[in-house]
Amino acid sequence: MSGLRAELRLLRHGRDWRGRARVPRSAQQWKLPDNGDDFPTAWARTAAAGMVRTALQQGVLKPVTWSQTRPVVHGQEYLDSVRGPAIFVANHSSHLDTPLIVGSLPLRITKKLAVGAAADYFFDLHVLAAATTLMFNAFPVERRGSRRGRSLAAELVDDGWSLLLYPEGSRTVDGWLTGFKLGAAQLCAMKGVPAVPIALRGTFAAMPRGRRWPRPGRPQVTVRIGRPLHIRTDESVPEFRTRLARAVATLWAEDDLGWYRALRAAADDSLAVPTTSRSVLPTRAAYPRVGGQEIAAWRRVWEATRPPAEDGPRQVWTD
Amino acid sequence: MGRPGFVLDVDERTPPLLMHEGEGFRLERLPLGSRVIYPPESLPGIVDLEGAIRHALAHPHGSDPLPELLRPGMRLTIVFDDLSLPLPPMRTPDVRQRVIEQVLEMAAAAGVDDVELIAANSLHRRMTPAELQRTVGERVFRAFHPDHLRNHDAEDPDDLAHLGTTPHGEDVEINRRAAESDLIVYVNITLTAMNGGSKSVSVGLASYASLRHHHNVHTLRHSRSFNDPPNSAMHHSYDRMADLIGGHVPVFTIETTLNNEPFPAAMRFLTRREWEWNLTDQASYLAVKRSNELVPAKLRRRIWQATEAPYGVTGVHAGAPSKVHPQTLAAVQRQQLTEVQGQADVAIFGLPYICPYNVNSIMNPILVMSLGLGYFFNLYRGKPIVRQGGVAIFYHPMPPDFHPVHHPSYIDFYELLAETTDPVMLETKYEKQFATDPWYIHLYRTSYAYHGVHPFYMWYWGAHAMQHLDDVIFVGGDRSTTARLGFRAASSLADALELARDTVGSNPQISYLHAPPMVLADVR
Amino acid sequence: MNLTLQYHRSAGRYFAARAVSGTRAGSRLAGALAGNMAPLRLVEQPDPDLPSESWSRIEPVLSGICGSDLSLLTGRSSPYLGPLTSMPFVPGHEVIGRTLDELPGLPRGSRVVIDPVLRCAVRGVPACPACIAGQTSRCDHITTGKLSAGLQTGFCADTGGGWSRRMLAHASQLHPVPEALPDEIAVLVEPLACAIHAVRRVPINPGASVLVIGAGTVGLLTVLALRKLTAAGEVHVIAKHRHQADRALELGATNIVDSDGTVRALRRSTGALLVEPELGAGYLLGGMDLAFECTGAAVGLDTALRSLRAGGTVIASGMPSGGVDLTPLWYRELHLVGAYASAVGDEPEGGDFPEAIALARSAPLNGYVDTRYPLERWRDALDHAAAAGRLGTIKVVFAPS
Repeated sequence: MSGLRAELRLLRHGRDWRGRARVPRSAQQWKLPDNGDDFPTAWARTAAAGMVRTALQQGVLKPVTWSQTRPVVHGQEYLDSVRGPAIFVANHSSHLDTPLIVGSLPLRITKKLAVGAAADYFFDLHVLAAATTLMFNAFPVERRGSRRGRSLAAELVDDGWSLLLYPEGSRTVDGWLTGFKLGAAQLCAMKGVPAVPIALRGTFAAMPRGRRWPRPGRPQVTVRIGRPLHIRTDESVPEFRTRLARAVATLWAEDDLGWYRALRAAADDSLAVPTTSRSVLPTRAAYPRVGGQEIAAWRRVWEATRPPAEDGPRQVWTD
Repeated sequence: MGRPGFVLDVDERTPPLLMHEGEGFRLERLPLGSRVIYPPESLPGIVDLEGAIRHALAHPHGSDPLPELLRPGMRLTIVFDDLSLPLPPMRTPDVRQRVIEQVLEMAAAAGVDDVELIAANSLHRRMTPAELQRTVGERVFRAFHPDHLRNHDAEDPDDLAHLGTTPHGEDVEINRRAAESDLIVYVNITLTAMNGGSKSVSVGLASYASLRHHHNVHTLRHSRSFNDPPNSAMHHSYDRMADLIGGHVPVFTIETTLNNEPFPAAMRFLTRREWEWNLTDQASYLAVKRSNELVPAKLRRRIWQATEAPYGVTGVHAGAPSKVHPQTLAAVQRQQLTEVQGQADVAIFGLPYICPYNVNSIMNPILVMSLGLGYFFNLYRGKPIVRQGGVAIFYHPMPPDFHPVHHPSYIDFYELLAETTDPVMLETKYEKQFATDPWYIHLYRTSYAYHGVHPFYMWYWGAHAMQHLDDVIFVGGDRSTTARLGFRAASSLADALELARDTVGSNPQISYLHAPPMVLADVR
Repeated sequence: MNLTLQYHRSAGRYFAARAVSGTRAGSRLAGALAGNMAPLRLVEQPDPDLPSESWSRIEPVLSGICGSDLSLLTGRSSPYLGPLTSMPFVPGHEVIGRTLDELPGLPRGSRVVIDPVLRCAVRGVPACPACIAGQTSRCDHITTGKLSAGLQTGFCADTGGGWSRRMLAHASQLHPVPEALPDEIAVLVEPLACAIHAVRRVPINPGASVLVIGAGTVGLLTVLALRKLTAAGEVHVIAKHRHQADRALELGATNIVDSDGTVRALRRSTGALLVEPELGAGYLLGGMDLAFECTGAAVGLDTALRSLRAGGTVIASGMPSGGVDLTPLWYRELHLVGAYASAVGDEPEGGDFPEAIALARSAPLNGYVDTRYPLERWRDALDHAAAAGRLGTIKVVFAPS
């Protein structure tokens, strides 16, 4: 046994606890393009794993999420028209987002839903990767540009899976919106599937980056699902991307402006739609800025954590 | 596309590196600043091998297409490399089978009736019927064995033809059937730069009378290295002989080259760079190593010997030997050449379980020496990896085991080493006695024994290294065996370096040749 | 009184020792067996009386322990020899001693070695044809005459033996030893005479290749005799232990062969063909001209038979024990020749003993006797003798007085 221990010690030498060695300096120039090792996810899309997942989602995930927050879900009726795979795109500011969306979508969709998860975050660690994959049917998404020709997302759509993607690429730091990446729009264009915009409000306030559990007191969160959008024949991918972003911004603004004013603002083009990685607050196209300076970080957070209006009848008109 | 070979400088972040040691392997921590010569990564094999062979036969270099050389009534002799190539034996179908089948199809179409297939085993042991079948395939075997598919017999006076002497006075005596054919088709595998070319016919089909002109201490000491044909006296002699043979009988050669894929997928870690090992590689290292140590020695040898290499074929070139071989060499170098700046004081080699002469057999101490000081030491071009007067450290347990059927003369040669290990002394005093010993000749011809003189050739392979090196140390080597061979044994690398200190000082420059897979160091 | 080590009739001990030594473990424990189970006892006896004036009492100075003694004591010797001994007797036939009585031409107190064969001349009977021819080792009257039966001094109840303080010897048995020859070498004269006798048993052609099996006293002295008395070519010696090998080389052996790979090694030097039956050891077609079997072990004789060329000769020098496959003797038409003790020859100075004394004076035999035991420590002595090769000793001797 001591032989084995010595052998293990030798094997571990120069490696971290995950068994990875750093590339010797002289070998740097021959470093492999870092495509890591794909964590296998196909197993999670088997029928057996699907049953386990549905049970977990319905029996554990949703009850826990719904007990810790007070979700308000709007627009589920738009999903009736969704037959076959669709790309769900949502803004992203919290780990609460995925459980909320999964909990808000009807079972017939969540049974065939795969969630894009950051390869470098969720698929970095095998335990986390396995848990994420089983619970959400996650698959790795490379957020810093495409690394190779083949795309797992496209294959999944071909196999009839709907995808939930966060085109912002990452949770925002301040709860505002940032620009969408092209991937989701590209996928819609390539596969001819609809995109379903979803906006989440209050999740930043409930459980921002760095928190591991929603803040106590069952904070209210809102999930607004919009109408499915199809890319138009005369529309380019970047244009569709912008339209998607505007749709999410509109849903986002609905909490503040009410449904109709939000629609109006969108039509007026008075909503701020993010185009770059700089975050914007959709409802304040001209949020006061001093001399072109960046808005101070605290003010952004302040704005993003403003408690939503008390739960009540859906605001159609606002005064 | 694989990455090129390179030289690693061992720094503090370098994980322990893999070393072969006979029927096993280990991880070893090399001193900081040591250099490690890695081979280029394996090149992709040809996908449409059938097509590539067909194309090569139809568009040969320096020759008419093969179909045009074939005509009814001719005597056609197909000669192929024997069991010693490639290492480990490649997964079936062997590339020789695939080439021979196409050649035979063309011969059948041309109406050739008199076809003979001969294994170019020279003074190596005969191949068993099973080994022949594995090499040429079931179809060929059934059609030709045993009358027209056979081993070359270098001691059959009736089947040898003396073709004359070269301008240097070297006798050229080869297989009579081949010499008196209308065409020799030679099917080759070039695993290292020393194989193929002029060597194929002039060595593979030769007799002792012919071989002794280049397989001797003098020639080998002037072959630097024998893996660099332009600088190898041995290959110059081959060339002269091949010229003479070419004047008697036309030779159409088909040379194939392999990639660097000697181990099956389960042992992928053996060919990966250690810092790129993932958890799977590490787990399989541990599992394979532990189970390898646990199984009884005999079973272990059986398992290793059953290894089949998933080699891919990187090139097929056909035509006149002198036109084909440069292209073959280029292909070999593309796969194996790594540039190294400067020589080292100490060279380290991990010796694997197999060499050309122990396929389905036992690697005895003399073969270990020839693998180490012969083959591995000579894996260089330009200058030796280690400087004149330096030290070579080998990893091999070197048990005093001999295969009683395959290596009878080795058993006796080993006894001679108690008297002297000097190659010249052995050559002058005993070579003739062993070469003409009737018992060895009898066993070579009728059993499966290497020729009586073969252990001498093995010893000569190391002659250049013995002259060049000041000390030779075997890490983990059996003490009495190593001593018998005139070397020293050390229990660990640290001990070995301690032993080497007298020769190279306490802070030597160390180079480790990370092979297999095969790498040829281009030392500048 | 005479302190003697006496071999007595004890069927129980004889068969017990024989049974144990027949087993594998027993054969390894020969020393313990010889020391503890031998039918041997240390007794005080009255001094022997002289049978006639041609006899003398002898005071043994050194008396060797011979391989045949050990075989006898461990019950491994053949019952064939039973009628040729008379109980109880005192072993010891390799003796250097001093005479205690005046003899014609040999003053009292002379240093002598003893030719132990109790032949016609000693027994006082008319000479048998063998003795007339000088082939005294072949004497037919070994059981008759005035003396009790006994093929040699050391096996006869009447003469005593070397393992005592007093023994008797007939004048014809005595060979004076030059003062220059030390006791430690003189005690080797008897075995050397036997070796000379063995070498003289067959004509040995110049250049003949010879295998000597065993490198104990007999084997080494055979090498010496071969080199000094014949023009033999290569002499290969099977030696188990390093010190034996060194001595064999010193005496002129060409090559030392390991007992494991004998046939193989001989094949190499003769270029013979080695054939290997499916069962049993391999043998040579072609091979050595002559083999001297100097161990007495069956395996030694077997090796000899497998290593000889057709028509070759085996000389059995050691007292044989155990059965051997004689197929090679038949198929290869070999000669199997026995060599027992020594002979006086038909010329005055041509006997094996005078030759041995002459040879002993010039040969490098120092250090062959490195341990002497008093009779009281006979158990230790026999232990030592049984393991002599392993313990780096060639000859173990008693120093009785």
